[in-house]
Amino acid sequence: MKPARLPTAAFQAGARDAFGVPSAVLGAGYIGFGALALDSGFSIWLALLSTATIWALPGQLALVELHTLGASVLAIIPAVMLTSARFLPMTMVLMPIIRDRRHTNFRLYAAVHLVAMMGWAAAMKRCPELPLPQRLPYFLGFALVNWCACLACTALGFALSGSLPYLVKLGLVFLNPVYFILILSADLRQRLMILALAGGALAGPLIHLVTPQWSVLLGGFVGGTVAYCAYRLIRHHG
Amino acid sequence: MADWQIWLLVLACGAGTYLWRALGVAFSGRLRTDSEGFAWLTCVAYAMLAGLVVRIVVLPVGILAASALADRLFACALALVIFFLGRRNLLMGVAMGFLTFIALTYLRTIHS
Repeated sequence: MKPARLPTAAFQAGARDAFGVPSAVLGAGYIGFGALALDSGFSIWLALLSTATIWALPGQLALVELHTLGASVLAIIPAVMLTSARFLPMTMVLMPIIRDRRHTNFRLYAAVHLVAMMGWAAAMKRCPELPLPQRLPYFLGFALVNWCACLACTALGFALSGSLPYLVKLGLVFLNPVYFILILSADLRQRLMILALAGGALAGPLIHLVTPQWSVLLGGFVGGTVAYCAYRLIRHHG
Repeated sequence: MADWQIWLLVLACGAGTYLWRALGVAFSGRLRTDSEGFAWLTCVAYAMLAGLVVRIVVLPVGILAASALADRLFACALALVIFFLGRRNLLMGVAMGFLTFIALTYLRTIHS
């Protein structure tokens, strides 16, 4: 096989990488979401709209669950936004890796709508090995396949909801954290990354006990900063 | 809540989520991958992901909250073991976590 040279080839390579297990696992989570959405009184179009526009499973689950509990709009929107705050540092870190001077701003602003955990982790891993012009197409190919698969799976989950046993729905919702634990720990090679993941894994839940709303934002900030300082200390003294 | 209000709510949540991604592009202009600031920000990004994922397992809200902590932890641990024993086979690891979790939760329902 020839190495991917053209941007279109990089787009196809990204799409191919996303097509198997990543989309299947993410899709399974969205089947769970679709089933949950029906139980919560959402219409299928509303469920699809949330997958298309929010495109972040933890945020969508928060939306559906808070809405079922009868929470007010003024409580739901900040809650969803705070679980999605991770996209700010994630996008900031991804941009210098995939930005090519020839990209128009419009292209970048359109592309980042697809930033989510799965596509981001894949791009962070693969893109530094690719020539600059191929990086954005690779990310787009990967993320678009994820996105389309999850739209289809949202509808599928909605249609299957009545026939899925409660236990299976529970298992499908559980699939996503398991998957992310596996891909995050598969990348534990650099010391900085190990420290960052450990810091976040400790700080996130601990801060959640004190202030659930702010746990993602504060936990990442505190855990990440402590990890970074620890790394610098070890580097200078070790 | 009226129908149009829910539509507006979902759209507002979508816009609010996109805002973070757009701000990420806007703020990244002068960021260089070889700078210390970039290293720190990478730490924060990974720590946010790890914090969220571990929080979902340890302190879930919503449908998962009805399951037992020990079941979730054991299923995650077994998924990790199978994943690394199976030469980082994601499908095997994830399937193991899924099946273990369902089996343990099922056993609890018939014993209670």
